Amino acid sequence: MFLKIMFVLSALLTLGGAFLTASSKNLMHACVYLLACLFGVAGLYATLGADFLAAAQLVVYAGGVVILMLFAIMLTGGVQEFVNKFGLDKTPSMGSGKTYTIAGLSMIVTAFIVMKILAPVFKTPAQTDLPAFTSTVEKLGVLLVTDHVLAFEISSILLLGALVGAAVISRPRRGK
Amino acid sequence: MISLNGYLIISFCLFLAGMTVMIARKNIIAILLGVELILNAAALNFAAYTRFVNQNLDGHVMSLFIIVIAAAEAAVGLAIVIRFFQIKETIHIDDATELQS
Repeated sequence: MFLKIMFVLSALLTLGGAFLTASSKNLMHACVYLLACLFGVAGLYATLGADFLAAAQLVVYAGGVVILMLFAIMLTGGVQEFVNKFGLDKTPSMGSGKTYTIAGLSMIVTAFIVMKILAPVFKTPAQTDLPAFTSTVEKLGVLLVTDHVLAFEISSILLLGALVGAAVISRPRRGK
Repeated sequence: MISLNGYLIISFCLFLAGMTVMIARKNIIAILLGVELILNAAALNFAAYTRFVNQNLDGHVMSLFIIVIAAAEAAVGLAIVIRFFQIKETIHIDDATELQS
């Protein structure tokens, strides 16, 4: 019962946040709605029994990525009018509500048809008896340094490269 | 209600929202927001299949790597956006035409 309430709340938070991110005109508001959406995804992880993933989602996204996005929005002028230096007007988005509705409906129909065709091919047995929730932290840690150790090391190199790359790219160049 | 299909539908809606943001917005930072939504949809799928189809934790490891890659992508992408803003004084996607011949 508690699980169902949690699932419904998280799903509503996720879907509402995603929809408002896509539809709000103000970029600052869109970023805050993205934060709500990421909180909802963390709640969905919790209902799936992925406790470490939920914690990592909260720490990395809510603590890191969204704050970084907000900083970048503020550094680049926030909610600026889209007028370039030649004085030409630019639209903040393209298309209208009608075109988005048509695109979404056609995408849903296409996905439905593709799923109907592919469902017998990729049939997986549905698990009927779900195991009880246990802590996944220990098993996840063991898996990271045994089975997936190569990907673990590569991701550490990737993070180092991203750190150095971000510092080098955004450095002000006064020399020339 | 809590079944594989419910999670897959939520993930699909997240993907649709991210795709809409990526296509419709003309602001570079807004496009990065759309990328985050799409990566979250993929990670949610991994966790859902881990819970409902096979109970080994490889899907959780993949979701973890997706979160790591999203963090790295956000850092580098925002650095590029800020550098672009320093040079061109705008973050409109139509102004990024240097590589067009």
